[in-house]
Amino acid sequence: MAELKYIEGYPENMYKLIDKVHATRQKRKDYTPEPMSREEQEEVLNLHPDYAPGGKRKISIGQNKGDIAPDPVVNLLEAYPLVEEEEIDISSADYSVDILIIGGGLAGTTAAIWANNEGISKDKILLVNKLRHGDANSIMAEGGTQAADREVDSLKRHYIDTMGGGHFTNKPEVLRGLVEDAPFIMHWLHELGAIIDKEENGNFVEKWGGGTSIRRLHSCKDYTGLEELRVIRDEFRSKEIGCIEHYPAIEFLTDGENRVTGAVLYNLETGEYKIVEATATILATGGFGRLHIRGFPTTNHYGATADGIVLAYRAGAKLRDTDTVQYHPTGAAYPIQIVGYLLTEKLRSSGAQPVNIDGEAFVFPLEPRDVEASAIIRECYVRDKGITTPTGLRGVWLDTPLIDEKYGKGYIEKAFPGMNRMFSRYDIDMTKNPVLVFPTLHYQNGGVETDPHGHTTIDGLWVAGEVSGGVHGKNRLMGNSTLDTMVFGRRSGISTAEYVKSGAKQGKLTLEHQKRYVEMLKEAGIKPERRSPILLPEYRGKESLARMIDIF
Amino acid sequence: MPNKEETSSDKKLDSKEIMDRIAEASRQVVSGVEDEEVENWVTIYIMGRAYEVPADLTILTAMEYAGYKFVRGVGCRQGFCGACSTVYRKKGEYKLQTGMACQTRVEDEMYLVQIPFVPAEKPSYDLTEHEYDVNVLFEYYPELARCVSCNTCTKACPQDLEVMDYVQAAIKGDFKGLAEESFDCIQCGLCAIRCPSEIVQYNIAQLGRRLYGRYDSPEPEHLKKRLEEIEEGKFDKEMKEITKLSREELERMYAERKREED
Amino acid sequence: MKVSYYPGCTLKTKARNFETSALAVAEKLGIELIELSRWNCCGTVFSLTDDDLIHHVAPIRNLIRVQEMNKNGLVENDHRLVTLCSMCYNTLKRANIRVKEKPDDLKKINDFMYLEEDYKGNVEVIHFLELIKDIGFEKIKENVTNPFKGLKIAPYYGCMLLRPKEVGIDDPEEPVIQEELIFALGAEVIDNPYKKVCCGSYQTIRDKQVVSNLAYDILTHAQNAGAEAISLSCPLCAFNLDSRQKEIKEKHSDFTRIPVFYFTQLMAIGFGLNEDYYGFDLNYVNPEPLLKEKNLIGRNNAK
Ligand SMILES: Cc1cc2nc3c(=O)[nH]c(=O)nc-3n(C[C@H](O)[C@H](O)[C@H](O)COP(=O)(O)OP(=O)(O)OC[C@H]3O[C@@H](n4cnc5c(N)ncnc54)[C@H](O)[C@@H]3O)c2cc1C
Ligand code: FES
Repeated sequence: MAELKYIEGYPENMYKLIDKVHATRQKRKDYTPEPMSREEQEEVLNLHPDYAPGGKRKISIGQNKGDIAPDPVVNLLEAYPLVEEEEIDISSADYSVDILIIGGGLAGTTAAIWANNEGISKDKILLVNKLRHGDANSIMAEGGTQAADREVDSLKRHYIDTMGGGHFTNKPEVLRGLVEDAPFIMHWLHELGAIIDKEENGNFVEKWGGGTSIRRLHSCKDYTGLEELRVIRDEFRSKEIGCIEHYPAIEFLTDGENRVTGAVLYNLETGEYKIVEATATILATGGFGRLHIRGFPTTNHYGATADGIVLAYRAGAKLRDTDTVQYHPTGAAYPIQIVGYLLTEKLRSSGAQPVNIDGEAFVFPLEPRDVEASAIIRECYVRDKGITTPTGLRGVWLDTPLIDEKYGKGYIEKAFPGMNRMFSRYDIDMTKNPVLVFPTLHYQNGGVETDPHGHTTIDGLWVAGEVSGGVHGKNRLMGNSTLDTMVFGRRSGISTAEYVKSGAKQGKLTLEHQKRYVEMLKEAGIKPERRSPILLPEYRGKESLARMIDIF
Repeated sequence: MPNKEETSSDKKLDSKEIMDRIAEASRQVVSGVEDEEVENWVTIYIMGRAYEVPADLTILTAMEYAGYKFVRGVGCRQGFCGACSTVYRKKGEYKLQTGMACQTRVEDEMYLVQIPFVPAEKPSYDLTEHEYDVNVLFEYYPELARCVSCNTCTKACPQDLEVMDYVQAAIKGDFKGLAEESFDCIQCGLCAIRCPSEIVQYNIAQLGRRLYGRYDSPEPEHLKKRLEEIEEGKFDKEMKEITKLSREELERMYAERKREED
Repeated sequence: MKVSYYPGCTLKTKARNFETSALAVAEKLGIELIELSRWNCCGTVFSLTDDDLIHHVAPIRNLIRVQEMNKNGLVENDHRLVTLCSMCYNTLKRANIRVKEKPDDLKKINDFMYLEEDYKGNVEVIHFLELIKDIGFEKIKENVTNPFKGLKIAPYYGCMLLRPKEVGIDDPEEPVIQEELIFALGAEVIDNPYKKVCCGSYQTIRDKQVVSNLAYDILTHAQNAGAEAISLSCPLCAFNLDSRQKEIKEKHSDFTRIPVFYFTQLMAIGFGLNEDYYGFDLNYVNPEPLLKEKNLIGRNNAK
C-alpha cells in the first residue's frame, strides 16, 4: 500500500475534505443553527450511550440493589476484595491521624487545607494518593469554574441552570451549598494567588458554558485546573500537611458497625501495606473514566478507576445517580495519539462550530452536553456525514479558525495555549484548519450520596468531588465540577474538623464490613473471578501480557 | 490503512449497533492495537534494551505496548500533570532531548529513560506575611542569583516555554513577565534537572505567580459586592424557598430563563 | 538619538532611582535610551575567570540582543550599548573585549548558544558617563536650570568604572569624568583621595564589618576634605556607602551621615526635573534636608 501522504498534519484524503470547511466558513460565520426543541432533544438522546440499549445492568447486591449502572461499574461492585482479613494484620495502626484524606485532586487538597485552617494539626492530617499528589482529573480541567458573582447574575439563576442541566434530579440542599459558596471559592482562589483571567477593568472574564443562561465561567486560559491545583497544592505543601504518594487506599476499616475508622493502604512500588486509623475520613478519589464505559476513549487521568465508589459501597455507603455517565461532545478524534483527549467546551463558547463532511453547521454549538454529544453521533452514524480517519474512527470537524475570525488573529494562541500546543505537536495548526472531534467519556455524574457538608450515610465518612453524587443530578454542567470539588472539599474539611474537635474518638479497626460484603457476594452467586478496586487500568501490549509469568 | 467502506446499511443501524461500531472503532485506543493492524514499526531502546513497537505510539503507549505497567511516570496521560518526563538521545546524535512521554511520538532508534521524580526544594511560606516584592523570591530561593543565562532550561522545556527569560524576569522583579512566561508550566522538573546552577525554576515561578495573582490586581469589585450580599443574608430567603420547589415549578422556571445577550 | 540601553537587574529593583533619574535626564538631553528586549542578568564580574567560558554566555547573549535591536529597527545602525550600573558595564565590556580578542572563545560561545544568532563582535559597550562626555559638558551646562551653587560633592569611582585599564572609562589613576560633570552642574568638586578605593563589594553579604570599615574611611576622608555629598554610579557601591552608614554610626558615634547620590540624580536636580524622578525613597540617608537647606528642592516643581 502506498505511503500515506500528510498535509499539514492530516492524511491527504482528510485534508481534501477540509476545503469544504474553508469554503463555507464565511457563510457560517453569522449563522448558528437554532437550539433544539425539547422534542428534538429527546429524540436525538436515543443515540446517547446512556440511553442506547445495552451496556448497563442492575446492581445485584448491597444498599443500591436494583439500581442501574454501567457494566464496568457493576463489575467492580460485584467483585471480591484485594485483601482479606487473614492476609494482613490490622491490630495496630502505622499512622494514627484525626483526618485521613484519600485522593489528592482539588477536592482532597482543599479539604486538607481547610481542616488545618480549622485547627487540626498538620501532623494529624494525612493525604494519601495513588499517583503523585495532583496527578488527577483536576489538573486537566481546561474550561473553567462557575460562580454567580456578576451583578446581573444570581445564585438562584446558577441554581436553576444547574437543576435543568441535571434534568431536575439534583439534590436540592447540596446544590444550594454549591451555588452559595461559589463566590467565596473565587475569593479564596484569588487570595491564594491564582491567576484568573481578568478584563482590562479588573473584572473577571466570564464566558459561556453549555447549558447556562448567562456568562458565568471563570478561567485561567485553558489551564484552569492546572492553575487551581498548582496554587492549592502549593498552599498545602507550605502548610506541611502529611502526604504520601503512590500509596492508594484499597479498603476501608470500620468499627464493625456503621462507622469508617481508617483504611488499608498499599505501596504500589514495594507491595507492602500500611494501616491508617483515623477519626474521620474524607474520600476524594475522583471519577471512573478509565473504565472506558461502552468502549469509549476518555479524557480522564490514569487513576480514574472508580476505587472510591467501590470502597464506600463495601463499607455500606449509599450511591446515587449511577445510571448516567457524562460523555463530552468534543474529544479529539484525530490523530490516533490523542484520541479521546478533551477539547474544551470553551472552544465552542468562543465561536468554534461543529461542522459535517459537507461543511454544514448541523447543531447549535452549546446544547447541554448529552444532547450535543448525541447530535454528533447522529451526524456520524445515522446521517453518515462524518469524516473517517485512517484508523476507522469517525468524527465531525470543529471549526476552530472561526474563533480567530471572531476575536481576531492570535486569540487562540492566547486563550487556548494548551489545545494549540497539543495539536501543533502533530503538525496541526488549529488556528488555520479545523480539528476532528467525537464524543469521549468524561465524567462520573453520580456517586456516593452526601448531605450538604459532604457527610455520607456512614459515620466517620465524608466524600467530596467527582466521587460524590447528588449535586449534579444526572448530568453535570461545565464548570460546576471544579467548583464542586472546592466547595465540598472545603465543607468536608471544616465538617470533619468540627467532628474531631467535638470529641469524636477513634473507633476500633475491623474488616467486618468486608466479611459481610463477601458473604453477600457469595449468596448472590458471584464467582470470585473479579477483584476490586483495580487501582490502575491495563494497557500493556497483548503480546507481552500473554507471555508474562509471575515469579516474585 | 484503508478507510472503512461506508455501507448504506449504516443508516439502518439501531442505537445499540451504533455503540458497538463506536467501541470497535475506538478499540485501538482503549485496549491496544493488534499486531496485524500495525503497518509501521520502529525500534526504541527503553533504558538501553531494544523493543519493536508500532510507530504510531507515544513514548508512553509504546512502553506500555512493550509490557511496562506504569506505577510512576504517568498521571494525566494528556500533557497536563508533568509526571512523565523523559530524556532521550537518538542514535548518532549528540543532543540530549527531553519530552513528555505522553506527548512525544516514538522515533526509530530512540534511547530513552523516564525521570518520574525530581528532588526539589519547596520551602514553606505564608503569602499573607509577604509584600509584593522581589526580595521574597530571593529570600526563599537565593540560588536564583546563580543563573548564568545559559538557556539550558529553555532547551529542556517540553512546553517550549522561555524558561530562562522567566528566571531573568524573576531576578529583575518583573512579576508580570514571570507570570506570563511561566503560566503554561506543568512542573515536570526537566528544567531543574538540567540547570547547571541548580535552580528550581518551576518552584520559583510558582511562588512568583502566586504573588502576582494575589497582589498585582485587586479582587474584582463585583465579587466583593456579591460576597457582602451573601454575608448579609440577602439571598437566604429565596435560596431556602427554591430548594423546596416542585419539579414542575423548577421546569417552568428553567424553560422561562432568558438567555443573556451575547 | 536612539541608543540601546542595558539596565541590569538592580536598576529594576533596589536602584530604581538610578534608572528613573537617568531616563529622565537622557530624555532632557535628547537621548532615547531604548531598553534591550529580553535582556538577562549581565553575569556580574566575579565569575569572569579565564577558563570559565560558561560565565561569558550571559554577557554575550546581551550583546546579541543589541544586534537584534538593529535588525528590528529599534535603533538605527548604532551598535553602542549604554549601561548605567558600573558592575554591568564592567562585565559586559570585559566579556566583549575578550571575545573580540579570542575568536576561538567566541566561536565556542556562539556554538553553545546555537538557538541565538551568532555574536559578530561589533557591539561597543559604553557607560552613560561616556555618552555624556561625548555630547559635551557644555551641553550639560546649558541644561542646568537649578545650579548647585557651590554644594560640595565628592565623586566616588570605586573599581568597576576604572579597572582593568582596558575597560576603564577614564584614566585609572586620575579620573576626571565625574569631576567635569559635577563642575558642569555648578557644584564644587571635592577631591577625595579614597575615590578609587574599593567599597568592599560583595563582602557586604558575608561581613558587614569589613565593608563598614572601608566605607568609614572613604566617607570620612571625603567629609574631612569638605564634602557634603557623594556622587557615584554603582548600586553596590551605593548600598555599601549609603546603607552601611547605619553600622558606621553604631561604631563611631561622632560620625555624621552624608547623602550618597547617583550622578544621574544630581543631574536631574540640576536640570530642575520633576522631583518624581529623583526617587529619594530608595536612598538610605535622606538627602532632602541637605537639598532643602541649599534651596535645591521644594521650589515649584518644574517639568
Ligand atoms: C480533561 C478534563 C477537563 C475538565 N474540564 C473541566 C472544566 O473545565 N470545568 C470543570 O468544572 N470541570 C472540569 N472537569 C472535571 C473536573 O476537573 C473533575 O471532575 C474534578 O476536578 C475532580 O476532582 P476530584 O478532586 O474529585 O478528583 P481528581 O481530581 O480526579 O482527584 C482524585 C485523586 O485521587 C486519586 N485516587 C484515585 N483512587 C485512589 C485511591 N484508591 N487511593 C488514593 N488515591 C486515589 C487519583 O489518582 C487522583 O489523584 C474536567 C475533567 C477532565 C478529565
Ligand atoms: S502523564 Fe501527565 S504530562 Fe504526561
